[in-house]
Amino acid sequence: MYWLLQLGGWGAFFGGSFLVASLFDLEYPRGLITKRTLVIALTGLFVSHLLRVAIKLSSLLQKKIEQSIFWLLLALALASVVHGILVLASFEAFDLYISQEVVERLNMGQLLLAVSLETGSLMLVWLALYCFYHYYADSRQRQLDKLKLEGIIKQMELKTLKAHLNPHFIFNSLNSIRALIDLDPARARRAITELSNLLRGSLQTEQGQLVPLQQEIDIIRDYLALESIRFEDRMKVDWQIAEDTLALSVPPMMLQTLVENAIKHGISNRSAGGSITIRSFLQNQHENLILEIVNSGTLNGSVIHPGFGISSTQSRLQLLYGADARFELTQLPDQTVKAFVSIPL
Amino acid sequence: MPIKTILIDDERLARVELRKLLNEFSVIEVLDEAANASEALEKIELLQPELIFLDIQMPGKSGFDLLADLDRSPHVIFTTAYHEYAIKAFEYNTLDYLMKPIDPRRLADTIQKIQGLESRRSAPASLPPLGALGEQDQVFVKDGERCWFVKLSEIRLFESVGNYARVFFGNNKPLILKSLNALEERLDPRIFFRANRKHIVNLRMIEKVEPYFNGGLLLELKGGDKIEVSRRQTLRFKEMMSL
Repeated sequence: MYWLLQLGGWGAFFGGSFLVASLFDLEYPRGLITKRTLVIALTGLFVSHLLRVAIKLSSLLQKKIEQSIFWLLLALALASVVHGILVLASFEAFDLYISQEVVERLNMGQLLLAVSLETGSLMLVWLALYCFYHYYADSRQRQLDKLKLEGIIKQMELKTLKAHLNPHFIFNSLNSIRALIDLDPARARRAITELSNLLRGSLQTEQGQLVPLQQEIDIIRDYLALESIRFEDRMKVDWQIAEDTLALSVPPMMLQTLVENAIKHGISNRSAGGSITIRSFLQNQHENLILEIVNSGTLNGSVIHPGFGISSTQSRLQLLYGADARFELTQLPDQTVKAFVSIPL
Repeated sequence: MPIKTILIDDERLARVELRKLLNEFSVIEVLDEAANASEALEKIELLQPELIFLDIQMPGKSGFDLLADLDRSPHVIFTTAYHEYAIKAFEYNTLDYLMKPIDPRRLADTIQKIQGLESRRSAPASLPPLGALGEQDQVFVKDGERCWFVKLSEIRLFESVGNYARVFFGNNKPLILKSLNALEERLDPRIFFRANRKHIVNLRMIEKVEPYFNGGLLLELKGGDKIEVSRRQTLRFKEMMSL
């Protein structure tokens, strides 16, 4: 693209000058004018290419305009002088001066200044076009990148939402509630409230936002109340929440995802059922919030091939806290599995 | 005659709800319920239901594991909370499944369909010997990711492959974990004939009989498979056919 524009541009300059020279009757020989224009175009092509190499090497265009404008103008001046020297040298070598008078009247320095001013106007046009093209292309690229990033974020949100709106769970719950409507209407009414809270919580999950732990725990209590309808005495839950952690901020639905995972592996897949312990406390002189979920069962392959719950927890913590957060899944000796999350405060 | 039915679901409330829905259908007689696969296996073998409502996802053994353990499969209506991948393993026309919470209209349609099938198979010309599998009985066959319910009358050939048997029906020939001898014991001897050490053929599927070496016979089955009848079995074959 660069070479196409570069050659096309200088070619157009030469062609245009040639056309002007042929259309109008000039007081100078046509051949001389053509040769001079050719010299200016070829040296211009060479110098402007050097200018481009310099701009690329110094990555001037990636910097802010306030920082780069000085260097751009300096480069422009330098390029104009170099171009002027080359033009003069060629004129000297091929004897392309139009009027010996002028040449004799001025000394070398004045002559160079005069020519440089002329070549400078050419270089200025070149530089302006070059910068304009780059800013235009860059802003388009940036817009494209921004759209792509937005797409990725939306995709993540959708995936998280789908994972939270576990259809298996929702339809099983609705089925249980339908049975409860006759058997235990009061419990059915409570179950609908619990399911509503849970659905509302799922829909409010926005990436990057944080909620107080208390709110997260309220949702988990509703969730577990619904699961207890389904599992009855197969599920035992032990809460060990430290008072001073309730007001702390946590990513929404993260603990819930881990509890859901614990239910799936620790209770749902086991005929005899099992127990779940949910724990929160502060560590390291109140520097870290620790969340732990312990469930019956054994780790099997879920570390090597983590499900969406595990991998999304990992990536969310990474996005929010970088290297300061930790997430681990470990097998404990007493046939239980512990999920451990450490969040910096 | 009501259709004898067993409900299998790990959730008590789901069974309660299903029983309540089925109360509306006088053709369905719920014999019992089971909360997991092993309980279900016991009750099915004891009560010999014609129909089961089966939840696929259960703790321990799944609904599929249960079916694979059964010699003969009753009609199965799968009940599931969500469109599961497991369902996709089936050839669709052979499968009845209902989404929980169950839509009573869909339940009515499904029961009507099964009632139709039941009435057609009623009063077979001759009942198979006690304990043997009859022509109208269906078996559940699972081969890797694919599953079928196959009527015995659709099976033309069993072939021994080590400890497994290859089952030939339609364009399929999946493997099942059963020895040919075990199969022979359960199959109705008036329909399924042990042609040689490696093969059991369905007599109704024979197209052509030709004499073969050493006084044996060569049977050509529908679909083109050619099966040799050993000399010893040739005598029995002729005896059976002459009647």
